[in-house]
Amino acid sequence: MLKHTRLIALLTALMLVLAACAGDSEPADDGDAGDDTTATTEAMTEETDASDEMTETTEAMEEEADLAGTEVTVFSSEQGTNEATGIQRALDVFAEENGMTITHTGARDFSEQINAQAAGGNPPDIAMFPQPGKVIDFANQGFILPIPAEVDAAVRPQWPAGTLETYSVGDTAYAIQVKTDLKSIVWYNTTVFADGGYEIPSTFQELVDLSGQMIADGQTPWCIGIESGPATGWTFTDWMEDMMLRVEGAEAYDEWTANELKFSDPRVVNVAQTILDIWNTPGNTYAAGGSIAATTFASDHGQPLFDGTCAMVRQASFFAAFLPDGTTFGEDGDIDTFYFPNVDTNSAPVLTAGNSAAAFRDAPEVWAVMEYLGSARYAEERQKAQTEAAGADGAGFLTANLNVDLSLWNELEGGFIEILASADPARFDGSDLMPAAVGAGSFWTEGTSAVNGDKSVEDAFTAIDATWP
Amino acid sequence: MNRLVITILGIVAAVGGSAVVFVGINKLYDLTEDRYALFNAVAGGLVSAGVFGLVWGNRLVVSPVVVWLIAIAVGAATGYALGLFEDPMRRLASGIAGGAALGLVLGMRATASILPSIDPLAAIIWLAVGTGLGFAVSAVSGGQIDRLRSLLAGGAVGWLFGAWLAADFDGSRAEVIVVALVLGTLAGAFVGRRPFPNRIARGNMAVASRKYIFAGPALVFVASALLFPLVRTIWLSLLTGNPRDLQWTGLTNYGEILTDPGIIDFSGFGEIFSSNMFWLAVVLLGAGFVTGRIAGRRLGGNFAAGGPSLTMLAFGVILFGFALFTSIRGTIPNNLWWIFSVIVFAVSLGLAVAVLADRSKGENIAKSLIFLPMAISFVGAAVIWRLIYVARPPTDPQSGVFNTLWVQLGFWSDSTTASTVIAAILGVVVAGVVYLAWRGWQAEANAIVAGSLAIAAGLGYFIYRVVGPGIGGVAISELTGELVADPVLFIQETPWNNFWMMVVFIWIQTGFAMVIFSAAIKAVPEDLLEASRIDGATETQTFWRVTIPQIYPTIGVVVTTLVVTVLKVFDIPKVMTNGNFDTQVLANEMWERAFTQLNFGLGSAVAVLLFIAVLPVMYINIRRMQSERLG
Repeated sequence: MLKHTRLIALLTALMLVLAACAGDSEPADDGDAGDDTTATTEAMTEETDASDEMTETTEAMEEEADLAGTEVTVFSSEQGTNEATGIQRALDVFAEENGMTITHTGARDFSEQINAQAAGGNPPDIAMFPQPGKVIDFANQGFILPIPAEVDAAVRPQWPAGTLETYSVGDTAYAIQVKTDLKSIVWYNTTVFADGGYEIPSTFQELVDLSGQMIADGQTPWCIGIESGPATGWTFTDWMEDMMLRVEGAEAYDEWTANELKFSDPRVVNVAQTILDIWNTPGNTYAAGGSIAATTFASDHGQPLFDGTCAMVRQASFFAAFLPDGTTFGEDGDIDTFYFPNVDTNSAPVLTAGNSAAAFRDAPEVWAVMEYLGSARYAEERQKAQTEAAGADGAGFLTANLNVDLSLWNELEGGFIEILASADPARFDGSDLMPAAVGAGSFWTEGTSAVNGDKSVEDAFTAIDATWP
Repeated sequence: MNRLVITILGIVAAVGGSAVVFVGINKLYDLTEDRYALFNAVAGGLVSAGVFGLVWGNRLVVSPVVVWLIAIAVGAATGYALGLFEDPMRRLASGIAGGAALGLVLGMRATASILPSIDPLAAIIWLAVGTGLGFAVSAVSGGQIDRLRSLLAGGAVGWLFGAWLAADFDGSRAEVIVVALVLGTLAGAFVGRRPFPNRIARGNMAVASRKYIFAGPALVFVASALLFPLVRTIWLSLLTGNPRDLQWTGLTNYGEILTDPGIIDFSGFGEIFSSNMFWLAVVLLGAGFVTGRIAGRRLGGNFAAGGPSLTMLAFGVILFGFALFTSIRGTIPNNLWWIFSVIVFAVSLGLAVAVLADRSKGENIAKSLIFLPMAISFVGAAVIWRLIYVARPPTDPQSGVFNTLWVQLGFWSDSTTASTVIAAILGVVVAGVVYLAWRGWQAEANAIVAGSLAIAAGLGYFIYRVVGPGIGGVAISELTGELVADPVLFIQETPWNNFWMMVVFIWIQTGFAMVIFSAAIKAVPEDLLEASRIDGATETQTFWRVTIPQIYPTIGVVVTTLVVTVLKVFDIPKVMTNGNFDTQVLANEMWERAFTQLNFGLGSAVAVLLFIAVLPVMYINIRRMQSERLG
């Protein structure tokens, strides 16, 4: 008898606790009912209510809706002072006009953080993803919301054809591009080139010959580093993509990013081997961290390039922000750029990349900010703020938005925007297109192993194939 | 800001609510003896509230608030009736009435997605199976358990499963009402069949429940913070796919992990036979064994573990472990290597410092200095040591301490003047050590002779390298043919980068081992030590045969604590390499799979493996704690 009494007592206690737990989770569930897919009738009604409300307000928004007092959080991978300040100031312009608060946070380990936040049910309102592959993953997993038709219609015509398609599942776009990077550029020290009498190379072979000549002259040609915290290895993937695009062509490149052409294919392995052979040529590389794998991708390169310790850095358009204060750009300045040359001069393939914003919360203020992020106005405000923050010319911000006022960019970076517009063919950064497990995972780590000499290129690339989901 | 306020309010509400519940239940049980009907009414209301709260929380009913309030009222009424009536028939009737009412409410308001289409055959079979089991239970109990109640309980569970849970959810409202009504009637009869407890039984009820009430908050805490996450992690490890829509996959995650060459890779095992370390380990182990055997014969036994034999055996084991873990690679071997190195070095260094500093001058200062790193977090220590290990390009001056020394040594050993000066200084030291050995020989202290000669031999080899072939971080440049710096890439060069990270951990944990050992050594009874000295034991013998056996339990505590800490090591690899360059450990592997790759199945599987690995150590620890309490 006694036993049963105990059991009942225990059960009572347990029930109370469970009831308490159930009660607790309820309001939290209601909070994100908008993107909750559990199909209870109740949730469904709520959802329709919410979206009805949304369309109403979106319509109202066009007639200068009242966003006053609302708050929107934005999370991105931009943690550098110039970039973070630029984003925050550009957002503040919009926030002040509408009496709202927009808070931007940047984190170096964005790709891990956003996973933890999304899976933990505590995501930001808007996240700026460096990788379209991640956007597609999140869209398929139901974490992010499709762009509403009104916002899509407002943003789409402002960007080159095909831009939104990069972030689409079927016909539905899930993200808006907010920043574009041009990757196929070599930054060089003009003094070193002038003193050595070096010519700007027009083919890849000329570039290799130029490196050899510099080594013979006792000048270290390249600064190379691939360290980037949890994202260590991505600089190698950039070289890899640029070279695939040149050696094997755009068609093979597309097959490769879709895993139809395997990493372990001899054609791919050879391209990687070519890169590593150049990097590992004695006297070729200045690696400030002691080895390429221990050298930070950009911040370790600004000063040595400026000093002439190395002559060239192959890095995307944002590299300007990593050069010392007061650096002047252009043919007559300290640092200039040339196009990372193709194997021949018949075509000029260009590798691009970009950050894109996607929304986690379905609310009129969030969509208003999203629409602003896709506009030329945001790009211009950010460029103004970033130029001011950089304190010199070369703000390191580019956009492919077609309506921007080019006069806000200096000659050098205005040139980049023109290269972007006239690229033939242009391809998006391949590792960013691949599924995150590869593009933000094994391609980095296995690539690092190959660069560091822990594995042969063939072994490392075979291991990458094995992780393709 | 808003979120913060909500969180704080939530915590306050949870704590306050828990306190109210705790006090309330205690108060409630005060009622059992004198006001049983009231007690029963409240208890019945609470049980209904709990059950229907669960139903509500899982969104199984429409208009949940109304359902919940009705359920509480019916439960309280039924409880009151059962607390009042003593006649078995009236009790049974009120139980059935209450149960049926609750069933009816549930059936009428169940949400559309859970309406069962009754399969009469399945329902009857499961009902029969349930009652059969109930019958079996009561038969086995030999009349201890009431037969009818047993049948009713089995029947209710069988019916719930057969008619509802196992059915397809495309039935009608009428069907769900029938199912819930039958279920409620069975459960209600089960409750009503319980005889009315007399005053003594009620008193016992309160007494027996009280301990669970007091243990309750702790149990709830353990369950919510430990058991629930554990069960959920194990459950997640059996799923795969989209993190928002995980699918059952069985043990495939475990299979995938254990066959992943990144996790465990035996392919390098053959290299162990070509490593010097391995053969040196074999020689040392053999020599140690022979020495111990000779010493043992002299003392009339088989094997005597004295200073010389133990030293050789210990070095042999260390070298063997290192040879093994540098040939078998992967996350799991890395973790084992961590355990091995940290245990061996932290325990032996901690013990050595505790013994050597014991009762010496400046003991407190020495111990404080060694204990100091304990105050630094793993992340902080990792950042500091990254700077100590850092390598700069050959053309730049080195900034890391180790590489500065190593590269400078290289240049010195290349220059005749510098190498002569080094050789001269070290020569004097060697002469001193040899003199020490000579003194030891005269005093017949074999340990001192062996130790000094070993040191002299080591220094002698070093002098030979400095003067002869050269030693240190320099290399001939392939470009210019000149001598240039060749720093060691401590963090990037695999597999030894693993060990350089372990050094950080050892640096921190030696202090911990030392403090515990020091206390244990001071607690060894003085009369034991004195007795052994009077019996003619040397200090070495006293240490190995009296002190060490006395502190065995302490060694056990330190080792098990360290094993658990090391198994979970995360911060140091995360900060120093993030698992790159073959330095992955299980905790970071788990993080990476779960949060970087968003594959909760694989991540949880790694977590479960880690948990299983810790279990035996915890078991030993708990067993020892219990035996200590008994003994």
